[in-house]
This record gives sequence, structure tokens and C-alpha cells, in this order.
Amino acid sequence: MTITNQTRRNFLKVAAGGTAAAALTARPAAAADKTITVLHESSFIKPFDEYVSNTLAPAYEKATGIKVNYEVTSVGSLPTRISTIAETGSGADVTMNGLLQVIQFSNKYLDVGDIADDIGKAQGGWYDAGKEGVLVDGKWKALPFANIGQLMNWRTDHFAEVGVKKFPDSWEELHDVGKKLKAKDHPFGFELGHGFGDNHGWLYPLLWSYGGAEVAADGKTVVINSDETARAVDFCRAFFKDTMLDDCLGWTDVSNNKAWMAEQISCTNNAESILWFAKREFPEIGKVTDQAMNPAGPKGRFHLLNLISHSIFDFSPVKEEARAFMRWLMEPKQLGGWYGIADSYYQPLLHGYDKAPMWDVEPRNRPFRDALANAHLPGWPAPASRQLAESVAKYVVVDMFAKACAGSSTKDVIKDAEAQLKGIYRSA
Amino acid sequence: MTIATERLVIAAPAARRRVSLAVLLDRQSVFSWLMMALPLAFLAGLVGYPFFYGILLSLEDRPVAHVGTFVGLKNFITDAHDPVFWRVAINTFVYTGVATFLKMVGGLGLALAMNQHFKMKNLVRALLLLPFIVPTVLSTVAWLWMLDPAFSVVNRMLVALGWPRPGPSWLGDPTLAMVSIIVINTWRGLPFYGITLLAGLQTVPSELYEAASIDGAGGWERFRYVTLPLLRPIILIVTLFSVIFTFADFQLIYVLTHGGPANATQLFATYAFDIAMGAGQLGLGASVALAMLPALALLIVALTIYLRRE
Repeated sequence: MTITNQTRRNFLKVAAGGTAAAALTARPAAAADKTITVLHESSFIKPFDEYVSNTLAPAYEKATGIKVNYEVTSVGSLPTRISTIAETGSGADVTMNGLLQVIQFSNKYLDVGDIADDIGKAQGGWYDAGKEGVLVDGKWKALPFANIGQLMNWRTDHFAEVGVKKFPDSWEELHDVGKKLKAKDHPFGFELGHGFGDNHGWLYPLLWSYGGAEVAADGKTVVINSDETARAVDFCRAFFKDTMLDDCLGWTDVSNNKAWMAEQISCTNNAESILWFAKREFPEIGKVTDQAMNPAGPKGRFHLLNLISHSIFDFSPVKEEARAFMRWLMEPKQLGGWYGIADSYYQPLLHGYDKAPMWDVEPRNRPFRDALANAHLPGWPAPASRQLAESVAKYVVVDMFAKACAGSSTKDVIKDAEAQLKGIYRSA
Repeated sequence: MTIATERLVIAAPAARRRVSLAVLLDRQSVFSWLMMALPLAFLAGLVGYPFFYGILLSLEDRPVAHVGTFVGLKNFITDAHDPVFWRVAINTFVYTGVATFLKMVGGLGLALAMNQHFKMKNLVRALLLLPFIVPTVLSTVAWLWMLDPAFSVVNRMLVALGWPRPGPSWLGDPTLAMVSIIVINTWRGLPFYGITLLAGLQTVPSELYEAASIDGAGGWERFRYVTLPLLRPIILIVTLFSVIFTFADFQLIYVLTHGGPANATQLFATYAFDIAMGAGQLGLGASVALAMLPALALLIVALTIYLRRE
């Protein structure tokens, strides 16, 4: 997967031709007034982006004379923007990554292991989940920034109606509670359609907690066809039928938020944004919204790693400046301020923040910190790979569960998923 | 080519040069080529290049940001073994076939109705174009709200009429989801058919209708033996366009279902996008997109031949 410097250089010369060559050679002349362009996906938390453009960037320019151009791209468009930049060799120097981009673009990213080591040493060490998300062939291809965890959101008032005060600990218990709640017209709503994240967010953890996985630790052997997977699928079908709205099968990422604010559902799996939005726009709902870690299955409790990280493009004309900037950005003063402005919507991957004041702002968010201990990439236990990205983009695991919920037999849906996964992992 | 002309120019005496240039420009073949050069360059650059680049991509293993390696038809073989690919192919044909048929029948009805004389005819005709003019993403978001069980006007009406709450799941049920996207596509494409066919209707000389009436033809016969044969070329052309647009539809699906539930509404364009941009497999994505080509090309050729014969 790694390509050598030699071929990379050839590629730049031959394929990207004029653009890349021009970008590489013509820059030193313009070095007098340097600018670092940082690409970021527009944040759900508005002050988060404003903090960079109004506070961090001016502070850095004052300190070093280097301008930081913080460019925000709309939600969902980040992968396409990075593709364009990586293919043409120009457009930004530092970029934010979603979960899959580190894997897909690793050969265009600088190894930032030296920075990661220093930051880790200074701030309590990295979470394993952070490393899992950015290490490609043993190299730090990005600096972990935060996890946007996907956890259980539940209505305390509805649960209380059936005598439940504490969120159920296991999937089976949640299933029982859900049956009672649906009878009281408070169904659950978990995304089973083709959104970007709320579907994978609970279905991979469900699969793992029953002992299933899509691929073995070698990243090659497809192991989806197992009794463990079958049990997870059977559970999901019953869970859907007994507790949920029929419409969940067609849901995309906005659907459960909409249903939550319309008081249609009593439990879902989402990021902190539901509580955040409810507190601001629907305070009455906000008061009765709580959050909990995913339930446990027979083989344990799991969460999906939804890592955000930052990488430096290897074709950037201001590589060294970008490195220095990232080092500065990840210092406690800057980083802590940036985390703090968003409450705990962005969960740090450095243990140094485990007891940070950001966790006291809204204690209901603390499960998001604790969930990091068992958060993994979708292809877990295999390491990050292109194949894993393809399987996620094709919704293989999501559709396996969704088809079962729509009425197909467990055997058939697993067979379909296995065929698809074998096609995908054949190239590994 | 330039070099050759220059040599000619140098060799020729000054007096004859002016003449030859004028004569050259006067010649129809030269002039027409000159006029066509710009559009041709435009087509080659903006249609030809991406098209051939797409073909090249489909023959490569080309992960995003990596160098491509030529793999021949391997991507197409992978597609052929992919169960989802065949699901997508069937979806696309059903979607295109049903939506086009509905648009054709509905559009013809619309055109016939609009061809009557009534008050505020022009205003109504202009308003009819609205679904076509509103940006697809915008109108689709409106549909998204209309089909959401919690807020749906449709469901509210059905529930009021006695349907068990919360009413049908328009986007959650695999069959209903397909029905929904077909209806929305038809809604959006109907005005295009209607207005184009209306223009065609207005060119039918009224003498033909008079003659038919004198011969004793009723309303249906006049439609069957006068209107329909004269409209046929236009119907064919509009169908051709409509099939191409519908076949490659992307925005509607992307906004409404993103291909879900479980690929029940996944079409070639959205699947190709997911593979190319989501999974970063540009080569495989291009091969899925190109899989649309043979069916479309066949249709275009067939229709063109048919039209020529007419």
C-alpha cells in the first residue's frame, strides 16, 4: 500500500504534470509572506469554527507572522474536497480527516510521528483508539484530534413510565424495555438506512458485542459468516420489530434527530448533538434527554471510533511551517481552549484531558469519554485498510442488518454480505 | 497545418495572397470548418476528454491519490460478480422504464388539456413549468418532509381517513421507496414532456382536423389518426432525452434515500458515486458508471435510426 518516494515523485511529474510541478517549484519565490491553509469540515457547533478564525489564527499570526487561512467546507463534502486536493496537489496544506480519509490518502500525508510522540508525552499519553485511527503501516499519518462518539440517547421520562431509572446494561434488557415502551407509544428509532454515520455507529458495535466481525485480524480473511453474526442479526431483527418505527429502515442521518425533536422516539444512537440541540432549541426535551454507553452483548461492550484527525499534505510548499503550526495547535493552551469551546462534542484522545473541566460542563456527556476505552474502526480487529473504507462506503454490514429487519432470512443476508466482503477483501 | 500554410504564403506573390485568403474563406468547406472549430474544441475538451478519461479509469485499478495500474476488464468482472451491481441494474431499468412511461402518458394528457382554450391559459402554462424550474435538491427536500411519517401531509390525510397510525413508511419500505422516487421523478419531469408536446400540438394544421371531421371522425379517431402520427417524432425525441436524464438520475436519490433501504433505490449513478468518492476506488466507480453506456447507446442508436426512416 505504501508507495516509495521514487514512484510518488514519478507520479507527480507524469500524472499531475504541470500543476504539481508548478506548485513544487514556483513556491520558494513567494515564501516572503507565508500562508498555511487549513481545511476543515463545517462544525455542528458554530463557536468551534469561529474560535479558529477569530482567536487561534490571529494569535498564531501575531506570534510568528505566518498567516493561517482556515477554510470551512460543508458537511459531507470533505472527502470530495480532499480527493481533489490530493489528486491535483494543491489547495490546502493541512486538512481535517474523517474516519476513512487517513486510510485513503495516507500516501499523500507526512509522517507526523515525532510531533505525536512529543504531544503524547506532554499530555498524558494517547488513547489506543487514537492510534488505531491514524497509524497506517506503523506510521502516524495524522494527529488524532477528537472522537465524535456515537452513544445511546434516551428519554428519562419515557423510561420512567415503565419503571426504568437507569439505562439498561445489555442489549437483551434494552430489548425488553423497548417492547414495553413501544406498547406505550414510545418506540425506539435507530438508523438502518444509508446515512453517513448513525447507522454504522450502532450496528458495528452490536455485531462485535455478539462476537462477530467482518474480517479477521489479518485484514484478509472474511469471517462474517459465523454463528455469532447470526445471533446478532437475529437479535437485530427482533429488536427492530418489537421496539422501532418501521420508517427507520429508510432513515438517513437527520432522521433520528428530527424524530427526537418531534418526540416520536424514546431511544436512539447518535452523537452529542441531540442533547446539545435539544438544550438550545427545545429545553423541555433537553431536560429529559440523557446519554449512556452502548449496551453490552455476550462478548462485551463496544463503540464505533469516529475519529477526527489532522494531516499535512506531503506536497505542501510550507511543510515545515505546517509542522510547526500543528505542534503549536496541539499545545495544551490552544488545544484545551478549542475543546472547551465545544463543551465535549469533540472528545480528546489524550489522557491528559480525562479530568479536564470540559467534562464538568455537562456531566451527561461523560459516557462519551468512557466509551473511548472500547472504541474501534469498522474493520476491527483488522487494522485500517482501503478495503475497510470500501466496505463502509458500500454499507455492507448496515444492509445485512437492514435486509434482515425487512424480512429476509438470517442465512441469506449473511451469505450476501459474505459474497460482497469477499469481493472487497480479495484485493487485500 | 500552420507550417504548411505559412510556406504557401511565403511562396505566393503579394497580390495573389489577398485573393487566395478571400477565396479560401469564401469556400464553403473552409468556412464551415472555421465556424465549427470552436464548438468542436469545446465538445472535445468538456465532453470528449472526460469521457475517454472515464474509459481509461474504468480499465485501471486506481485508488484515489494513488497511481493507477492497468488491469484490463478486471473491474467489469468484479462488477459482474457483485450482487449489488445487478440489483442496481434492475433498479435503474425499473425506475427509468416506469417513470418514463408515466411521464409520457401524463405529459401527453397535460399537453392535450393545455391545448384547449380557457381563461388565463398562458399563466397556467407558465406555472406548470414550476416543478421543472425549481432546483431538484430544493424540491426533493420538500418531498423529504412530505414523506416523513411524523410530519407528512400525506400520512396525516391517510390517518384522518382511518389508516392505522403513523401511516405507510414511504422511504422505509423497499417497494414504497421505489414507488416514491418514481412518483417524484415523474412529478418533476412531467412539465418538460407537457410543454414540448404542447408545442408540437400547436403545429398540427387545423385543416387536418376539419378534414377528418368532415370524413366523420370523432374525438378519439381525430386523436388516433391525426394528432398521434404527427406528434410521433416529437414524442420520440422527448422520450430519448427523458430516458437519458432519468437513467443517470443522481440528486433525487442522493437527497431522499441515498440508495437505501438496503440498496432498494440504489441507481447506477449513486452507486458509482459511493464507490468512487466514498470508497475512493475511482477505477471501479468509473466501471459502474460506464456500465450504463451500452444500454443507453443502443437506445439512442435505435431511436435515431427510427427517426431517420420517418
